[in-house]
Amino acid sequence: MTVIVAGAGIVGSACAYFLGQAGAQVHLLDASAPAAEASGAADGAVSVASKRPGPLMTAALSGIALYRELEESGPLSGLFHRRSTFIVAASEDEQKVLETHATALADAGVVITAIAGDDIPRRFPALSRAASLIIEVQGEGHAIGYQVVHRLIAASGATVHRSTPVTRLVPDRSGTRLAGVETPAGFLGADAVVLATGNGSSALLGLADVLTPRKGQLLITERDPALNAAMPGSIMSGRYLLSKGSQKTASAAPAPAGPARGFGLVIDPLRTGQFLIGGTREDHGNKQETDLSAVSRILADAVALVPDLARLRLLRSFAGARAAVRDGLPLVGRLPGLSNAVVATGFEGDGICLGPVMGRAVARLLLDKEPGLDLAPFAPNRFQSSGDAA
Amino acid sequence: MPDITPDTLNLTPDVLIIGGGPAGMSVAIECARAGLVVTLVEQRPRLGGAIFRQPVNGVAPLALAAGPERLKARLFKDFAAQVARIHCVYGALFAGLDADGLAIVEDRQTSRVLPFRPRALVLATGAVEAVLPRPGWTLPGVTTAGGLQVLMKETGRAPQGRVVLAGSGPLLLALAAQLIRLGRPPLAVLEAGDPIRRPGASLALLAHPSLVSEAASYLATIALARVPWHRGAQFERIDPCDQALIVTWRDHKGHLASLAADHVSLHDGLAPNNFGLPAEARGGVKSSAGNPLVIRVGDCREALGAAAAVAGGEATGRNLAAHLLTGGEVIAAEATLARHRSAQHHIARAFAPRRGQELATQLPDDTVICRCEGRTLADLKKLVAESPGLSARELKLNGRFAMGACQGRFCASNAARLLGELSHSADQVPVSALTGQRWPLRPVSIAALAAAVADAPQPGSSTKDDKDIR
Repeated sequence: MTVIVAGAGIVGSACAYFLGQAGAQVHLLDASAPAAEASGAADGAVSVASKRPGPLMTAALSGIALYRELEESGPLSGLFHRRSTFIVAASEDEQKVLETHATALADAGVVITAIAGDDIPRRFPALSRAASLIIEVQGEGHAIGYQVVHRLIAASGATVHRSTPVTRLVPDRSGTRLAGVETPAGFLGADAVVLATGNGSSALLGLADVLTPRKGQLLITERDPALNAAMPGSIMSGRYLLSKGSQKTASAAPAPAGPARGFGLVIDPLRTGQFLIGGTREDHGNKQETDLSAVSRILADAVALVPDLARLRLLRSFAGARAAVRDGLPLVGRLPGLSNAVVATGFEGDGICLGPVMGRAVARLLLDKEPGLDLAPFAPNRFQSSGDAA
Repeated sequence: MPDITPDTLNLTPDVLIIGGGPAGMSVAIECARAGLVVTLVEQRPRLGGAIFRQPVNGVAPLALAAGPERLKARLFKDFAAQVARIHCVYGALFAGLDADGLAIVEDRQTSRVLPFRPRALVLATGAVEAVLPRPGWTLPGVTTAGGLQVLMKETGRAPQGRVVLAGSGPLLLALAAQLIRLGRPPLAVLEAGDPIRRPGASLALLAHPSLVSEAASYLATIALARVPWHRGAQFERIDPCDQALIVTWRDHKGHLASLAADHVSLHDGLAPNNFGLPAEARGGVKSSAGNPLVIRVGDCREALGAAAAVAGGEATGRNLAAHLLTGGEVIAAEATLARHRSAQHHIARAFAPRRGQELATQLPDDTVICRCEGRTLADLKKLVAESPGLSARELKLNGRFAMGACQGRFCASNAARLLGELSHSADQVPVSALTGQRWPLRPVSIAALAAAVADAPQPGSSTKDDKDIR
């Protein structure tokens, strides 16, 4: 079986890997190069900590389990860094939303520990005294998107076609299957087609109203092994929950005037001794560029939570565009009316966590196997009734 | 926009100039003469740039050749006449242009981030030394020739011990002559090219008498001091040995030769210091409405030397002033530079290495390419072999070339060149494909950035949302 996988981000690469494992011949196409978009500009959280109970939380738990498995069995060995996520509340509002959220996580079977009072400075000496409650979410980890992509492609045996965007889907005579895809280099035929084209899917599938870019700005500091060691895991500010709307509360930040721009705060001690700090959620702006206003705001918040960060220097800032679906859930499943075409896109900020497990689900779907995950909530045709094509 | 600092620093000057060398000073002089509000940012405590670097207090300046000395005297005299109208910020570094069009400067004297919003941003950041990787080039005691020269200009002293100068280009001769004048002649100058065997190029330089007399004075000094100038020397390696360094090369006949030294200074020519800089406006058109007009002058535009930097800076400064005052077109000073360009072209031909310069095949696999992260040629070759068609960005992310603390300053151009060689690409791999154009261009204090949140002139696109956190 020959399969075209369009999009060499983490979802497409994972799909190529699992198809390759099953003996398929895979052509992996990308408009530019592997991990050139969101997968190469992600914070790398493999995490359930900020998820609301529901299909995404279920998928995230499967996603984390698969990382553990791939880490142990070889293909991702050394690339999945296990650590807890610590959600930190530093105000009454944050504490309220965090308590509700912790209950939801525990009810879903996630292993959590509450840390309060004198235990906070003992457990987390780097943290500001403003922290009033910490929820430790165990069993999570961190993976660098572009490293995972590189490893999966190398192990997939796929033929990689760089600078090869899919310009058109080409149906066969029956009209119920795709014969292949059109690219600037010409027609490429296959037995099946996977579209893991992130924000590029909008134009390709006419999803402009459903799937839109949501920019995020991220920061990398220089190395500080001592401070790094004083942080047992990633910190997520309780405000991240407010920003992300994981829990709706009356006290959530008021909608700002002008284009929406949310600020969350995640501080992740990387294995290099550096810190990754993020980030924004913006429904506007150039995806490649970062601005002083956001960088300064993120760093001010970060220093307020981890005061010793003030002694470091900022090494890099970068931005990427998540592919965000209107209802917050990804689009995964067969394209309506085409039996051999599958779409997998719209993972917003969860691509690194969900990429491998969704890539596997899509590969299994094409191989007529049980996907291992309930894909019904992610059905790509769920917007059709309202007139949005998919 | 309000002045935000106690010393009433104007964050919205007409012209913000980055770099106080010959090019930046010349633009500042012309714009100040025309009555514009000019701010000049210089990373060192004094003006002059690398070429006219001034010594620290109490040290006699190093003598320059006659031509450069005259140029320097005129430049500093003209600048002094306008100095009251030019606001100089010393000890400050340009961190880049952000998405909102702010020119971000880190003032290391006051530990502040200064968000400038000028009408025009003039980049005059000079040249950088090209240094090719070689076995042993990261050993202690190995420096760049330019670095050694700057040290000598600032302190007025040569380093203790035996010095070998190696690589290619006229700067090695200038440095040798300066070492001799300070009473510490180098053991040898190892030159990869052989200008004497390229008489065509060398003769063509006769059309540039000031360069010829400058070169003649260096060569006379070197000959008098009996310092050997080994031309056509193919550099092999540097090895540590007790407290010394053993430098090994092949002479023009292919025989191995070596010398023991305490310092080795490497130099392989000059290149524009345009690392990560924002793109220049084409035909006076800004990249976006909120952005300043970005212009490059001097060596950071094209490495043609100090005389060209002054000529180009003056012409660009006059054009820019006319543009900002009356809306005239900003035209790069092409005509002024043609003569300098021809001279540099002949110099490059004269000093062209006698053997081809394919790095990937000449260097041993264990040669360090990225000094920050210790990545070797073998690492790079492996990655390219594994992934046919590998893009520069993938090389960076997965090979960690240009990812370290220097942000690629030392390895990006070499890594891009090696990627081009190894992938047999007909086109050169642009260095910017590895480095991008993101800010900060250099590591910037987080404390200063965090404090800038209150200071930054509010750009129109950002929102002033809640300050609910602490």
